[in-house]
Amino acid sequence: MTQLVLFNVFNGLVVGAFYALMALGLSLILNLSGVINFAHGGFLAIAAYLAYTLIPTVGFWGGLLAAPVLTAVIGLVVERLLIRRLYGRDPLYSLLLTFGLAYVFEDATRSLWGAQSLPYPVPAWLTTPLSNRLFFLTGYRVFMVVLVGAAVTALFLVLNRTRLGMRIRAGTHDLETVSVLGINVRVLRNLNFGLGVYLAGLAGVLAAGMLGLEPTLGSSLIMPSFVAIIVGGLGSLPGTLLGGLLIGVASGVTTVFLPSATEAVMYVMMGVVLLVRPHGLLGEVGRLH
Amino acid sequence: MSHDPLHSKFSRRAVLKVALAAGAAQLSPRFLSRARAAEPVRIGFDDTLTGTYAALGKNTLVGCQLAVEQMNARGGILGRPVELVVEDSTSGDAGTAVQKASKLIERDRASFILGNVNSALSLAMAQVTSEKGVLHIVPGGHTDAVTGTSCHWNVFRVCNTTQMEANAVAGPLMKSAGKKWYYITPDYAFGHTLQAGLEKAAQRLGGVTVGADLAPLGTTDFSSYLIKAQSASPDVIIFLPQGADMINAMKQAVQFGLDKRFHLAGAQQELEALEGLPPEARVGTWVFEWYWKQPNVPHLQEFVAAVKQKTGKVPTARTWQGYAATWSCALAANGAKSLEAPKLAKALENMKLPPEIGLMPDRPFYRAGDHELMPTLYVGNAQAKGSDDEDLFHVTELVKGPDAAGSVEETGCKITWPTT
Repeated sequence: MTQLVLFNVFNGLVVGAFYALMALGLSLILNLSGVINFAHGGFLAIAAYLAYTLIPTVGFWGGLLAAPVLTAVIGLVVERLLIRRLYGRDPLYSLLLTFGLAYVFEDATRSLWGAQSLPYPVPAWLTTPLSNRLFFLTGYRVFMVVLVGAAVTALFLVLNRTRLGMRIRAGTHDLETVSVLGINVRVLRNLNFGLGVYLAGLAGVLAAGMLGLEPTLGSSLIMPSFVAIIVGGLGSLPGTLLGGLLIGVASGVTTVFLPSATEAVMYVMMGVVLLVRPHGLLGEVGRLH
Repeated sequence: MSHDPLHSKFSRRAVLKVALAAGAAQLSPRFLSRARAAEPVRIGFDDTLTGTYAALGKNTLVGCQLAVEQMNARGGILGRPVELVVEDSTSGDAGTAVQKASKLIERDRASFILGNVNSALSLAMAQVTSEKGVLHIVPGGHTDAVTGTSCHWNVFRVCNTTQMEANAVAGPLMKSAGKKWYYITPDYAFGHTLQAGLEKAAQRLGGVTVGADLAPLGTTDFSSYLIKAQSASPDVIIFLPQGADMINAMKQAVQFGLDKRFHLAGAQQELEALEGLPPEARVGTWVFEWYWKQPNVPHLQEFVAAVKQKTGKVPTARTWQGYAATWSCALAANGAKSLEAPKLAKALENMKLPPEIGLMPDRPFYRAGDHELMPTLYVGNAQAKGSDDEDLFHVTELVKGPDAAGSVEETGCKITWPTT
């Protein structure tokens, strides 16, 4: 029993790392632009399908590099043409827009690549378990955790060490002052959206290797990332990371005792956090209006 | 130059057009009555074209379309052309499915309703069709109740019940793999009845359930379930999720190397799911409801070729279900020489599908007691690749429908006919 729980804690961290990666992109966009990007899952699925299309010419690693970048470019265009128009309005407008976009993306992938699930090719050496005992640790999952770690580190470095990152952080705190200081807020929001979508794209390509391709890939993965953000605390990127890991572990451990509640436990956690600490574990009070 | 609105409003042309239209309206009743004689017989398709079951719904539709093309080439139904009216039920919204069924019956005046892949939607649609008294054929919703406790006089079903699949696979599986079974079951009606059916069938043969976990519908990560399943040391891990959930579960099990330590199996398996799996994960013992590659089945090759020409791919069980369900409409009408639903239903009872529509070793027939089609069930193993890229299943045993179905009494179906 102890071993079963330990295994599931460990496994939950692996799964949680993936939730966190998705949630970080969402969180970035939400923090700076106040947009709840329901189309995040759609971007994720598009990246996965793009990688699938690219793999025959550029290989697995080429797909992993190129697809998120291409998806980020799509993200930049979508922000420029559609989302930008709704800044400053009631968040409900952008929520409705991205909600609609999520459907458009899902059906676009369905008509371009078919409704049928497709297998996503992964190098054979990545798909074998590391040991018989720790069979749930396959090369791919270890690789995924390492990549998530690298992406998170890179993101924090960008935010803390680069001019763009500092502007994003400053804008998150007080966009008006940043604008008064002569920084082009439009460009800043555009690039930030692109960065968020890039993270969605990276998560999408990784998910494809684990789960294969399905037009509903995005919508099935999006809810845990929203929960991760709320549990971790709005406005806090470390909080989002923590939230992702926590819900991963919680649903893993729940499987041992009450498997049919693995999904429900995330929402119970969210409810409890909202009741006890409404601004989330690491969120700041009154961050978002 | 300025434009004079008054003159343009009453231009000569406009007046002429109005006069012509009025004249045509005078004449139209005669045209209408003639048109009514050749008014097409409508078959209403209300199935899952978007969402989780979109791939299955779309394959069903291909079979329906092929059947309608063939019917029209052969003179239609009762000498009238046939029209397929297609509606998307969504994959999970019973409200939408019911609303579309009503629309098909009331506005399109469909004489037949087809659908649904989703068991719950099939049951909801059956409520509407029986209330309105329209013949309803369910191509692919499996839960027992459709032709069991919730059966209706006007509802017929092409696909198997979950109990039939459980009964078909239990014996061969126990013989080849052992009797300690661990279940991973999707947490909704289909999964519950399928697991109960398997446990019932296994118990009769001395099987033991060493563990069972319900996984929420739409679970993407099955690793925690698999960790638990392996710790129970079963002989067989039984996978009952469908569609994308099945793909995720099987893929992870094989990546974890569990296929080398346990026998992986389940009841229903579909070509759509096997195509979505990487080759190394196409393993395990399963039931197929219909398969495109079988020896000694007359007309099978023609059907496969016709579907390939339409879609570029071989037909799946879903394609065949759509095809057989749609053709059943024509067979019923031609048998009854009428489009009245009670007569159609009576005509279908005990009707054997002709070989070019049945496309199975034994000719399938609609059992009178519960309106369930008695087909051949195909038990076998998934394979990475057979003689053909799309040959992903190796049939090892054929089970006759009546042997798998049990008696009508066991299904709990009691049909009440409308009093006229």
